[in-house]
Amino acid sequence: MNKYWQSFGEVNDPDNFQKKVEDEFREELPFEDMDSKGLLDAKSPRRDFLKYLGFSTAAATLAASCKTPVRKAIPFANKPENIIPGEAKYYATTYVQDGDVVPILAKVRDGRPIKIEGNDLSLFTNGGTTARAQASVLDLYDTYRNRFPTRKVGDKHEESTYEFLDKTIGEAIAGLAGKSVVLLTSSIVSPSTKDIISKFANLKHVQYDAVSYSGMLEANEASGFGKKLPSYNFGEAKVIVGLGADFLGTWLSPLENALGYTKGRKINEKNPEMSKHYQFESHLSTTGASADERITHRPSETGAVALALLAALDGSVVAPAIADAKLKAGIVKVAADLKANSGKALVVSGSNDVNVQIIVNAINNAVGAYGTTIDWTRPVNYRQGIDKDVKALVADMEAGNVGALLIYGANPAYDYYDAAKFKSALAKVKVTVSFNERWDETTELCGYNLPTHHYLESWGDAEPKTGITSFIQPTIYPLFKTRPYQTSLLRWSGNATDYDSYLKTYWAARLQSDDAYNKALQDGILVEAGGAGATYSSASVAAAASAIASIKKGVKTEVVLYQKVSIGTGTGATNPWLQELPDAITKATWDNYAMISMAKAKELGVKLDMDYEYYPKKPVFKFTVGKAEVELPILVIPGMNADTIAIAVGYGRGEKLGKTASGAGKNVYPFTSFNGNNVDYYAADVTITDMNRKEKIAQTQIHNSYEGRVEVVRETTLATFKKNPNAIPDYRTEMTEDYAKKTSDFRREATLYPDHGQPGIKWGMAIDMNACYGCGACVVACHAENNVSVVGKSEVLRYHDMHWLRIDRYFVSDNENPDDLKGVVFQPMMCQHCDNAPCENVCPVAATNHSSEGINQMAYNRCIGTRYCANNCPFKVRRFNWSDYTGADSFAHNQDQELVGKLDPVIHQMNDELTRMVLNPDVTVRSRGVMEKCSFCVQRTQAAKLKAKKENRVLADGDAKTACQQACAGDAIVFGNVHDKASAVSKMREENTQRSFYVLEQLHVLPNVTYLAKVRNTDEIIEDAHHGGEEKHEGATVPAAEKKEEANH
Amino acid sequence: MGLLRYESQVRPPLVDGDKDYHQVTEDICRPVEAKPSRLWWIGFLISVALLAFGILSVTMEVIYGTGQWNLNKTIGWGWDITNFVWWVGIGHAGTLISAILLLFRQGWRTGVNRAAEAMTIFAVMCAGQFPIWHMGRVWDAFFVLPYGNTRGPLWVNFNSPLLWDVFAISTYFTVSLLFWYSGLLPDLATLRDRAKLKWRKMFYGVAAFGWTGSTKHWQRHEALSLVLAGLSTPLVLSVHTIVSFDFATSVVPGWHTTIFPPYFVAGAIFSGFAMVQTLLVVTRKVLALEEYITLEHIEVMNKVIILTGSIVGIAYLTELFMAWYSASPYEWYAFKENRLNLSSPYGWSYWIMMGCNVLSPQIFWFRKMRRNLVLTFFMSILINIGMWFERFVIIVTSVYRDYLPSAWSTYYAPTIWEVGFYMGTFGLFFTCYFLFSKFFPVIALAEIKHILKKNGKNYKEKMDEVEKESLTEFSEKHGHDHGA
Repeated sequence: MNKYWQSFGEVNDPDNFQKKVEDEFREELPFEDMDSKGLLDAKSPRRDFLKYLGFSTAAATLAASCKTPVRKAIPFANKPENIIPGEAKYYATTYVQDGDVVPILAKVRDGRPIKIEGNDLSLFTNGGTTARAQASVLDLYDTYRNRFPTRKVGDKHEESTYEFLDKTIGEAIAGLAGKSVVLLTSSIVSPSTKDIISKFANLKHVQYDAVSYSGMLEANEASGFGKKLPSYNFGEAKVIVGLGADFLGTWLSPLENALGYTKGRKINEKNPEMSKHYQFESHLSTTGASADERITHRPSETGAVALALLAALDGSVVAPAIADAKLKAGIVKVAADLKANSGKALVVSGSNDVNVQIIVNAINNAVGAYGTTIDWTRPVNYRQGIDKDVKALVADMEAGNVGALLIYGANPAYDYYDAAKFKSALAKVKVTVSFNERWDETTELCGYNLPTHHYLESWGDAEPKTGITSFIQPTIYPLFKTRPYQTSLLRWSGNATDYDSYLKTYWAARLQSDDAYNKALQDGILVEAGGAGATYSSASVAAAASAIASIKKGVKTEVVLYQKVSIGTGTGATNPWLQELPDAITKATWDNYAMISMAKAKELGVKLDMDYEYYPKKPVFKFTVGKAEVELPILVIPGMNADTIAIAVGYGRGEKLGKTASGAGKNVYPFTSFNGNNVDYYAADVTITDMNRKEKIAQTQIHNSYEGRVEVVRETTLATFKKNPNAIPDYRTEMTEDYAKKTSDFRREATLYPDHGQPGIKWGMAIDMNACYGCGACVVACHAENNVSVVGKSEVLRYHDMHWLRIDRYFVSDNENPDDLKGVVFQPMMCQHCDNAPCENVCPVAATNHSSEGINQMAYNRCIGTRYCANNCPFKVRRFNWSDYTGADSFAHNQDQELVGKLDPVIHQMNDELTRMVLNPDVTVRSRGVMEKCSFCVQRTQAAKLKAKKENRVLADGDAKTACQQACAGDAIVFGNVHDKASAVSKMREENTQRSFYVLEQLHVLPNVTYLAKVRNTDEIIEDAHHGGEEKHEGATVPAAEKKEEANH
Repeated sequence: MGLLRYESQVRPPLVDGDKDYHQVTEDICRPVEAKPSRLWWIGFLISVALLAFGILSVTMEVIYGTGQWNLNKTIGWGWDITNFVWWVGIGHAGTLISAILLLFRQGWRTGVNRAAEAMTIFAVMCAGQFPIWHMGRVWDAFFVLPYGNTRGPLWVNFNSPLLWDVFAISTYFTVSLLFWYSGLLPDLATLRDRAKLKWRKMFYGVAAFGWTGSTKHWQRHEALSLVLAGLSTPLVLSVHTIVSFDFATSVVPGWHTTIFPPYFVAGAIFSGFAMVQTLLVVTRKVLALEEYITLEHIEVMNKVIILTGSIVGIAYLTELFMAWYSASPYEWYAFKENRLNLSSPYGWSYWIMMGCNVLSPQIFWFRKMRRNLVLTFFMSILINIGMWFERFVIIVTSVYRDYLPSAWSTYYAPTIWEVGFYMGTFGLFFTCYFLFSKFFPVIALAEIKHILKKNGKNYKEKMDEVEKESLTEFSEKHGHDHGA
């Protein structure tokens, strides 16, 4: 890594130089005591005031007349090898966050990592990414990162140096007099780090996961697999049963799960078969939204459901009594389906109860999942924390047996079920060290903080699955005075090597050559042989069954805690992109809230009237469980269990994490409890008190039903599709005939405007709604790629969000009973790049126009902001810069409006010098007053064409990928040249004519984005599926209106 | 000349009282030459204050961006364009009165045309503010002009109705202004000739363009009036037709309607006349011009109101019928759910529109009501409110819930700066109107003199006599009157 420097001071004496730079303008003007008292009472009397006034006026005049300093970028005197200014470089590295692992490529432009792409060489992720991985690049430039090591002196954390701290802490650890040294971390997936830990004499390592999988780990041990988690192969399963596991959203390795899952969901129309997904759950999760059939139950019934399922499968246990007829029937049906698909079935449970997981293991054994859909040859390392170990540690700390606690990645002061106890226990530990990038709730309490690198600055390795290693290499010189925590561990264990050389030595030794290591580093991925696997033992089933049978079903309201795809356990809370990513189900941003059922809303007297829908203010209730209580606004969601309230964890963060995190939501971890074995993420007996006030929730979509609008989303069931596969093509043919009655020229006849030839490339997109499960990775990728502004809660509330790509979510309910949710449809919606675009012909200045390649393009500096195009866009995908979100405005200092449209602190955060380093230099930052929208990543198509031209070849399919396409784990989005018959997008359209449709095709705007209809795998036959439009419209709108009426009561 | 334009005795006189030419001059010049009254000052200052607030509101919007208004990703136009269309509509009566009624030789127009034309010009000025300041980057507003530039073949988009607006409104404004000013010339000369103070002489002298009242001047003046009337007549119809294209040519359900051009024109005349009524009922009282702007004038205009109001009503019903008959689910939803449904977020605005524009004017079927000043004033306000809501209903209730339910908007209510901008245009309008009523004759002096001898009350009475006389008798007796 090269070092870039400007002066000798900077090179030879960096610390001093840095200090000098910082201290240059240290003294402040002596306006003491003026701010609060007013002029007359101020220390500076009137005459002084005049003096200051005179001086400041003169100074301001001088300053104004002088030119503002121009900061010049200095070109390289000698061109560094392999660096071409303006050309991006990609480095294989790995996103690692508390056990989550995504192999990635970091796109580096002129020394700055600016974008995350999936690593295509990684087979288990297939080049996919998650929303959080996509957003992680922004964390690198977070202004709230810790910039230097500190130690606590009195109540203050003072800056210190690593040399000093190494000495102090080293001595302190040495002088503990027999008390233990404990390293408390989140799950560690790095083999080299584990090696370091194992070589640290007398170091006790405890792993702690904010949301724990301890129950599963212990259950697997009880079932003879060892304290491990297996690899799941969702792609092989014909029947998938989720027992409260949000496996597409947050459970274990959602990316990997989704990859397999979507494979089974894609339909080949010649032989329309797809996997069947049943979901038993208490609230509507992201995964449940994609399920073919959902059955809800109380959280306290989780065990009973598993037990009943096992009983129905093989009768090896006694079935518990289940009162709910629907649930009972559901279990019978699922059991039959599982039996019929033995060897091609998979059951996963999100429960953290060891007994429930033992039963689930028994079920999986009964349906022949082991060896087929569950792979024990490659156990995964994502989660390793055992709840009992952590509890024991806290007890140890409490008892004063722990002398030093080193904390990395764990934040029990915030997310431990008994955080107060942890805090008091922590106070009894003499030496407390945190290796935290940020001032989280636990770090605040520690005596020392030695911030570790961001992963994009680090060396490292990660072994997500046994035998598969993904490497981490730095993509930028560390921005701050941070140091890998592994280096600290090495130093304190008496090893003077730095972690980077240790890593190299470790791997060179393990791979037996430097070249092999370099190759692995370059690829990012190293695949070695897996384990031998293990065999199932049913020894523990009977005990588990009787333990479950003793769990009482709750009678009062229950609360279930869940993670949002964006925020997770709370690690995403500091990231503005993630905070602004709308939740897949509620479409809410910047908050957590209580999701309640329609029945509960009725019971609580919440009227689902016009006010509820059209105003962002939602009623606030106080939820009390034991001593824990929290006041939150509610959102009414269909398809919830009637007596269950769902609240997302990860919100309500500490002030020191910055305003992005601390300003959003409330912490609900206090609702978790320890059941003697494991932490439960639900609670029974919730008391609900109406606070008689309302709070605003910022949703990006307020209307839930698609009002029977057949041309907006096409959605059907597998049985209907099989019965009438040509419903969509027939409808389209009829429409084509209508439009081209005279000339049979469909494109030309229905429009006044001439049809412009598109002789060369024509870009198009196809989106398979069956493969989209609403995770939002594409939305964040779009943010990162296209410099899309974050606007903050206050502006989302005003419906000013800037997402170029949004995921529309529609609930499909029973006509009579909207709470009876049949399914959820996710529709990624971006500019449709219409060939006969209604936005183009209304722009008075032709700022938006059509390229010869079919892209509807924006000339930002031509746009005068009449917003006519946005009004006339049937898809409402155009976004206007209402305020100066980017700081790119012609007017200076105009982000400080107070009276109307006050901007949130996040706007300023996103615009500071450091954070702006994340901007993509290939994409214009739009100033306020300008319209913007999806460009089909035109910067990428241009770059791909240029590259092909330089290489003197024809553009190949896949040369240009849009950011959303690249981010999508399920390959739901396919983009390419539709004039190229061999391109993936052409093939996808050609092979799926029965499901292809254009949104609002009858408007004849000629979109360039096709969608493939969503198919739910149920036996229900939807009448009238043929021809939704003309004959049906009356029938379709009237019930919708009635439904609304019903929702209004 | 009087004889050539014979008017039936059945028609009531258009100028009351025993007026001769001199008296007319005295009556109409009095407000211009007298010191402004206390009432004038109060009204003027309130208007200026409103204008100042409007300027502040716009300044905030220009500095901080359109986010100072509550428009959003779904509702791109709200109060801004509603106000624009509303003011343009109001600016229709003046030219209609001056041009079309001139061509149709309606004598009654002379009592009201000056004020109505002035109102038109001020209303168009107000209207123009909205499309200008609603732009996100108003400093680049000149991009809409097809000027020669050095940016290659960069040209405006002639397909865009907004561009048509630019041409339509600027043309309309120019022609209206010329028409109004050329009509003012003889009157300005009268004021110049009567002026005693030096500055007044200079001011009106310059303003009168050297009008001497020679026959040649009159001849050219008459010719110019006819030419301008001929030019303006199509403009009256075209301006609002083109404004309606902003909506009619779009794809938004509720906008995309072929009935809009005639419907908008009728609505514009409707609201324009209502505004004329509002102003004249007050003006005639305050400036003591009841003998020139008589109940006859008021009644005639009320007749126009009930005619155009009924056209508008039929248009509403036709549009509604077509929405259902077209079998377009989106359009029918826009009408049924967004408008007719009173419990929908903006249902109330549709019914305010219906009540004010369709139901309430029906009261003018009764002559007594047409001649009731208080009621007329009240109704004129009601109609203006109704017509504002018509534009609001068309613009906002169409876009806030259109094709994709996912994009349906939250409730839109204006911010203080949106309201402030609207209030500011009232300030602009009334500031101009107060200045106009102070410095210019609010009734066309020269033109009222044209009709005095056939429509004046005393002359009409004398006509009884004349009608009994033979032509020779008449010529002998009255011949010398001509040219007095």
